[in-house]
Amino acid sequence: MRTTLLFILLLILLPVSIAVQDLLPPLPPMQERIFLLPVVFCFGALALPLLPALFFALAAALIQGMALLQIQSGQIEFGLTGPIIFFLGWTVALQMLSEATHGLRWEFHAIGSALVTLSLVAGEFLILCAKRGGFPFDLMVIFRIAMPSAAALLIAPLIYLLLIALVPYASEPAYGQGRSGLGTSGLEG
Amino acid sequence: MKYLQLAALVLLIVAAVMLSMLGSRSLSHLQSGFLGFLSPLSRSGSAVKSSIGSLGKDLMTLDQLQSEYDRLLAENKKLRTENNGLRDLQKDNDHLRNVLGYRERSSFRLIPAIVLSHDAEAWWSTIKINRGSKDGITPDMPVITDRGLVGKTTTVSDDMAEVVLITDESCKVAANVEGTKEQGISAGARAPEGELQLAFLSKLADLQPGQKVYTAGVSGGVFPSGIALGTVKNFHARELDGEAILEPAADLGNLDDVFVVTGAK
Repeated sequence: MRTTLLFILLLILLPVSIAVQDLLPPLPPMQERIFLLPVVFCFGALALPLLPALFFALAAALIQGMALLQIQSGQIEFGLTGPIIFFLGWTVALQMLSEATHGLRWEFHAIGSALVTLSLVAGEFLILCAKRGGFPFDLMVIFRIAMPSAAALLIAPLIYLLLIALVPYASEPAYGQGRSGLGTSGLEG
Repeated sequence: MKYLQLAALVLLIVAAVMLSMLGSRSLSHLQSGFLGFLSPLSRSGSAVKSSIGSLGKDLMTLDQLQSEYDRLLAENKKLRTENNGLRDLQKDNDHLRNVLGYRERSSFRLIPAIVLSHDAEAWWSTIKINRGSKDGITPDMPVITDRGLVGKTTTVSDDMAEVVLITDESCKVAANVEGTKEQGISAGARAPEGELQLAFLSKLADLQPGQKVYTAGVSGGVFPSGIALGTVKNFHARELDGEAILEPAADLGNLDDVFVVTGAK
């Protein structure tokens, strides 16, 4: 029941995060954007048991894919295959981390969010380079990749605390699979 | 229980494979539905954002009034406040008259639209506007302001549309330079910086900063001719061609009101 409620809440937060991140102002000095979806995804991938986490990853991939999808004059530049592989892959990796640390800890959520954001933005850049040709790797590109990742690192603890506050039941142990859930250990430690 | 988990896993794999195999038409419909789903969120978010923005504006005006009061002690505070209020109204009035006048003056059939949000993407420059297929918008329609070209529509839902800006690398515009026979193709950079690169010019083109650049309007293209695209910032010759860096004519960083061009009058 707890898992179901958490799963539904996180599922609702995915499109909300996309709408909110579009409204956030860009970061100075080079107008980099803040991405919230990878942070919410990371929380779900760490907090949910494996199977719901995989379905959650599929939903995140679908929403991220829809937001990224560029169809111009009938040509697709970015389909759904990339996001699906990306989010399912990260879910498996984060689940292993979650098992190893016996639940979700805020510091792993922050680092995970930054890494997911970094790999997402860098992956998009590499796919664009492969599709459009050229490899214009300059200071602007470095900023475009690094700044959203740094922002995710800083924002993740806030979202962690917000979600813990929203779903206090989730901080209690156990999803019935030997997992300690959203363990409070992170908050204590 | 294990069978249930196995069935769920199979369902997940089937769903993932099916989604991966969707073609451009299905994806376009899916994205259009997604935009429609996102529309209430974007609209209410945009309304909240503009309310917060106007609150900040009011506070700034009070700040300015305070500094005016300090500087000019002899001034009557009440009259000053009223004057400032009237000036704001006059400014809004002028802006709206300008927008309305442009719509009437323009040789295009225009649909006015409000910018809901600037999409949070690293490698693309796109915005969302509050007009969709209900208003007669279709993909690949030019979007302009009274100052110049903004971009073109891509995905359209019932009441919202996505617009790719001219500063996006994938939005290519045929353009010519005022007072010359130079023609080129303009596009943004992969990491958009707010400037345009006008490539395929002659190596010997003698372009000067400040020269205006307009859309060329190639047959079968999206953009009609004669829309202001930008002004030349600098020009340099490359190995095979010349390239000019342009400052966009429209203020793409502060877009509030735009027009979608639906055809000629």
